[in-house]
Amino acid sequence: MSFLIFVLRVWRPISSLVGRLFFALICLAGCTPSQTIALRDSPPTIAQRIELAQTAFFPQEAFHCGPAALASALSTSGISVHPEQLAPQLYLPERRGSLQVEMLAAARRNGALPYQIDPTITSLLAEVEGGNPVIVLQNLAFSWAPRWHYSVVIGYDLPRQQLILRSGQTRRLLVSLRTFEHTWKRSGFWAIVVAAPGQIPVTANERDYIEAALAFENVAHAWQAQEVFAAAADRWPRNLLAWMGTGNNAFLRHDWRAAEHAFRRAAILAPGSAAPLNNLALTLAEQDRIDEAVETARKAVELAGEFESISQATLKNLLDERTIRARE
Amino acid sequence: MRSRTDSHMRLFTKRLIAVVTALSMAQMASVSFAQETLITTGQIAATQSSAPGSHQARIAALLDRPELQAKLLERGVDIDEARMRVAALSDDEARVLAERIDTLPAGGVDVLGALLVVFIVLLITDILGYTKVFSFTRPMK
Repeated sequence: MSFLIFVLRVWRPISSLVGRLFFALICLAGCTPSQTIALRDSPPTIAQRIELAQTAFFPQEAFHCGPAALASALSTSGISVHPEQLAPQLYLPERRGSLQVEMLAAARRNGALPYQIDPTITSLLAEVEGGNPVIVLQNLAFSWAPRWHYSVVIGYDLPRQQLILRSGQTRRLLVSLRTFEHTWKRSGFWAIVVAAPGQIPVTANERDYIEAALAFENVAHAWQAQEVFAAAADRWPRNLLAWMGTGNNAFLRHDWRAAEHAFRRAAILAPGSAAPLNNLALTLAEQDRIDEAVETARKAVELAGEFESISQATLKNLLDERTIRARE
Repeated sequence: MRSRTDSHMRLFTKRLIAVVTALSMAQMASVSFAQETLITTGQIAATQSSAPGSHQARIAALLDRPELQAKLLERGVDIDEARMRVAALSDDEARVLAERIDTLPAGGVDVLGALLVVFIVLLITDILGYTKVFSFTRPMK
């Protein structure tokens, strides 16, 4: 009896936690989370079973589930990298883990476009069906005592309501959709795919893909960024940034023809903007079409707007260049 | 004889340096001529974004980066890696990380470790009589 009193005294400060835990346990045993129910009631029209068995597996070492999960997902995009190489790029020693935004940054540094998918199981399944393993952040314990963990969804079995994961030390972890949703929900349903340049994730939307491409452009090689934007221009031909991104990266690679084509398309889409004409003028000059270049730069200056001073600088440079060339 | 060879060599080296310098200067000139006024994709995106004060946000992001780099160093990241890690983030990501580096979820748990925690918690709740998961526990009276 005295022992019981002792235990109660110890527990009193966190008795509310025990209550919540009790509720959580009841829920874990009985409640089925909403997305799993919706999925059971109206199954999506996708393949019943998928397993991306070729996805590489790296058993997690110490706290390195971030590097292991990323290396595993990158393998499907044809990028061969070992978790040991990734660890210095994203592991944060003092936090004993890896942060979500650094997962994105490390994917970029290794030549893949990270894309955060919509927070739904249907999007997750659609990506897996389309051949893209999905990196997810789970909280395996409780919201008040989190145990954050990255794993990779590589397959599913709809009739059995199961997912197949590369997780920690387990090559092929089978988890019920219900349990998975509980653990995934606590991370706010965070999930990413890491696409090879030129591949658009199955569930990608225009706005988010372009935003991902802009962040990628700052880190990637120009040829990679060009492929990312060119794929966008192909899918969403009315998107100005897709064409400008294609043109700019083609320009940086001295691929003048591709750059000229892209800037001309952009100029048609945004007739009021000086940017496509300014960059087109520079591209023409690079091809020794200096008169055309000067004429185009003049049009850019006439449009003024946001890029007035930069367009004027371009025009001045081109006029100087023409004078120099005339003298030679 | 020897000094003559030396002077030939020296002359050759001087010429080589002159040629290389001239070539690299020509290259630099051609790069600066075109690229300095190329309007970047990011600049166009900034004019499209509807968010007011995105210009201020960009300036703030410039200040966030050195701060974030210092924070990564403090938390055990190598100095060269810290610089490259910061460079690979977008402005928004760098800002969020600089503000919340100690509170954002850090995925690192080993699954077995997590299961152990659940096991211990269940064991305690079993003993307290809230649950009955294990056959070997007897709730306290």
